[in-house]
Amino acid sequence: MKRIIQTVGAVSIATSLLLVASACSSTTTATPSTPGAKSLTIAFVMGAEADPFFKAMKVGATAETSANGDKLIWQGDPSLYSPATQIPIVDQVLAQKPDCLVLIPTDPDALQASVAKATAAKIPVVNVDTHVTDLSNVVSFITGDNTQGGAAAADQMATAIGYKAGGSYKVVAGLTSATATTNVDRLKGFEDQLAAKYPGVTVVDTAYSQSQPATANSNVSNWLTKYPDLAGIFAIDGTNATGASSALQAKGLTGKVALIGYDAYKTNVDLIAKGVFTALIAQNPAEEAKQAIDACQSFIQTGKSSIAAKVTLPNITMNKDTSAADLTKYTYVQ
Amino acid sequence: MALTESPELAPGANPRPPASPESHSTPLSERLTGFLTNQQTILLLVLIGMVVVFSILNPIFFSLDVFGNVLLDWGPVALIAVAETFVIISGGIDLSVGATLGFSGVIAAYAMQAMTAAGMGDSITILCGTLVAAATGMFVGFVNSLLINRLHLVPFIATLATLGAAGGMSIVLTGGAPVGDGPQSAIDLSVPWLGPLSWPLIVVIVVVIIAGLFLHKARFGRYTYAIGSNPFAALAAGINVKRHLTKIYVLSGLLSGLAGMFLYIRLGSGAPTSGVGDELDAIAAVVIGGVALAGGIGRMSGTVLGSLILATVTSGLIIIGVEPNWKQVVVAILIAAAVSLQALRANGKRS
Amino acid sequence: MTDTSAPLYEVRNISKSYGSVIALDNASLAVRAGEVVGLVGDNGAGKSTLVKALAGAHRPDSGQIFLDGIERHWASPHEALQAGVETLYQESSLAPHLSVSANVFLGREIVSPGLLGKLGFLAQKKMDAEAHADLERVGIAVPASNRPVSQLSGGQRQAVAIGRTVSWARKVIILDEPTNHLGARQSKEVLQVIRAAKAKGLGVIFISHTLPHILEVTDRIVVLRLGKIVKDAPTSDFDVDTLLGTITGLLV
Repeated sequence: MKRIIQTVGAVSIATSLLLVASACSSTTTATPSTPGAKSLTIAFVMGAEADPFFKAMKVGATAETSANGDKLIWQGDPSLYSPATQIPIVDQVLAQKPDCLVLIPTDPDALQASVAKATAAKIPVVNVDTHVTDLSNVVSFITGDNTQGGAAAADQMATAIGYKAGGSYKVVAGLTSATATTNVDRLKGFEDQLAAKYPGVTVVDTAYSQSQPATANSNVSNWLTKYPDLAGIFAIDGTNATGASSALQAKGLTGKVALIGYDAYKTNVDLIAKGVFTALIAQNPAEEAKQAIDACQSFIQTGKSSIAAKVTLPNITMNKDTSAADLTKYTYVQ
Repeated sequence: MALTESPELAPGANPRPPASPESHSTPLSERLTGFLTNQQTILLLVLIGMVVVFSILNPIFFSLDVFGNVLLDWGPVALIAVAETFVIISGGIDLSVGATLGFSGVIAAYAMQAMTAAGMGDSITILCGTLVAAATGMFVGFVNSLLINRLHLVPFIATLATLGAAGGMSIVLTGGAPVGDGPQSAIDLSVPWLGPLSWPLIVVIVVVIIAGLFLHKARFGRYTYAIGSNPFAALAAGINVKRHLTKIYVLSGLLSGLAGMFLYIRLGSGAPTSGVGDELDAIAAVVIGGVALAGGIGRMSGTVLGSLILATVTSGLIIIGVEPNWKQVVVAILIAAAVSLQALRANGKRS
Repeated sequence: MTDTSAPLYEVRNISKSYGSVIALDNASLAVRAGEVVGLVGDNGAGKSTLVKALAGAHRPDSGQIFLDGIERHWASPHEALQAGVETLYQESSLAPHLSVSANVFLGREIVSPGLLGKLGFLAQKKMDAEAHADLERVGIAVPASNRPVSQLSGGQRQAVAIGRTVSWARKVIILDEPTNHLGARQSKEVLQVIRAAKAKGLGVIFISHTLPHILEVTDRIVVLRLGKIVKDAPTSDFDVDTLLGTITGLLV
């Protein structure tokens, strides 16, 4: 019996290592459907394989490449969003001489050298979601509009709290980190929109959860105690949305305090119908990926002149009026 | 210290009456100084001081509602800090408690998702989920003990490996997203009904008390101290050291699993990022509580107070409106103070 | 003691090598009830290896071990302990953070009656009192048996360790350098404890570098040199010079 338990232990460790290893090297190939056109090999190096955001992106990229009969090399660290792991992955991908590199740089400066390397090898580079500091060698940069998303959240907040000019309303914002550009842009969009259109709304407190939903929950629980007259909560990403929604439910304040979340994780989308989330702002990662693939193709076929240097995709707003079909469509793939 | 200054050694000289510990009572003044330099007393004073300061800065802090928030933060940290107390007193360390917490929560979440989909009731689902979380944690703990006892890895490396494996598995399985669709009423369980206490907290308190009794009053704790104090002595006394270490690491996993379930109930879903970095909070709580990383020293009451202080700082800073990242700074100061106090006392005893 | 009585504890033709190094070569040794046997030898002579074989901590490569005439194969020190063979190792075998009584009862705790005892809950007061009484019985008085060992002086610690060994021993005690690092007075006390153990009818194997102690307290002396027993004779055959000569090999 003891032996068996030991064997099970060893096997499970081995399995977990294998899983990680295979996640490192997943490659999707599609058979060409248009025999006439030249089949391209497009490398897509994203942030972290496991993130539903990137999984949704993969769905878009796979659909677009297979529609065109191109080959997709999909690469990224299994779980770490880090330049230290991403740079060697880019090197390895470039060694395969793809026709185009779509890159989601995990750091604007650290990945600059990788872009230069690709350019030197005459491989065009497209940035998605985030970008390197110097965009002069980047064919196109396609991103969701975080500032616009923040502004949309402010609009949803104003509606939810029944904003009237001359009124005074307190809201709080749950953030993940002080440096993540997504956080910074969303908060800026949110605050700018409030200042411009809803001056009676004040962001009275912000705090960081460091990617821990339990910390986000704790922050919101304490705010709910500290501000008995709190009108609304802006949860800036999926982690904060999970923490804030559970705190609201446990305090029995569902529907009494407005909650605007960000990112379309399934658990959170499900809470729209229950009235916990007044609204969720979601990005459209599949569309971003599709446009990146398209940028590769048009660059190779027609040159740089035909391509917009920067494409900003608007965010999607999901609330109780959104159709069930759309809720499903925009929920991040798990 | 001169060895000849030990008249007590006189062999068979003065036959004393059958001795009882009470016959060696210490004078009152010595007891008083002992009480005031006692780590637990100091921690209690620090805790009370913090509550007073936070309450002055924002009177709303002194409310049942906030105490409820503090205890909600305390629950999972207390469980893994108790785990760490046993492990560190035995001379080891368990870096995997946080990752095991997250992993157990995720596995339990999948089990409860399946049970809910099969139309089972919430109560039975939550009960089974708790058992699944506990079993998952115990499994990780058992793997730790195999790495330590069979492959002879030092605990730091062994548990660093399982930290990576359990944390990685959580992310790979879930894709980074929380696992929901479990029992609807899970979140309601974290609503306080007995003062600031909710059901999961009552379970935590009972578990902490039982763990304290086993550490200080039972053979299990005695062996734990002996192994941490002098492993050779434990072996020479006929203690099966490997078997006892297995029990300790499995217990550590079990408590981490329960902490994972606690967070599931709190969040209403199993989040793969839950528990990331929590091992450092647990170790901080334990060290502030007076447990020595070298092993052999520590009290459960110290761990309880240490973890309560951490939870109080977390909520307190939010309530008084100070950037919560200051928590790291406050914790660092507390750790430095606690460790210097230990060193001071050790020197005092020696001189 | 008469040498004609049957040995209580005996090893026959024990050999043990570590790689190419032969630590013990066909060594035999016996101790009778109520007899004190001194085991001496230079550093590296194989004393520690022989002690570990006697204590059940190491398995010899070949040879036999007999207790009460019955052959034994110790799988662990625990088995030897249970059979009545107590060993005081040269390394400290006390847990410094535990109390005197916890050390005396380590591995053999007294549990509370009833269900609590089944769960391993300890009868601490009973152990405190009994530890004190047990140590006194073998001639050792310590200030309070509920005090941590780390608060005792070096001499007191050694006294507790010896006291524990003697009070638990039912048949044989093996004392490996018990007077090491002790002052003259503590050493005398240790020798007194050895005499008490002998009077109790225990077989004592006493390992020491301090030859006057060996000559003072033993009945017989066994000399090890380079893994071999080179001499096994009544103590009365030796004085300090002849003993030293035998150990170093200058005198055979």
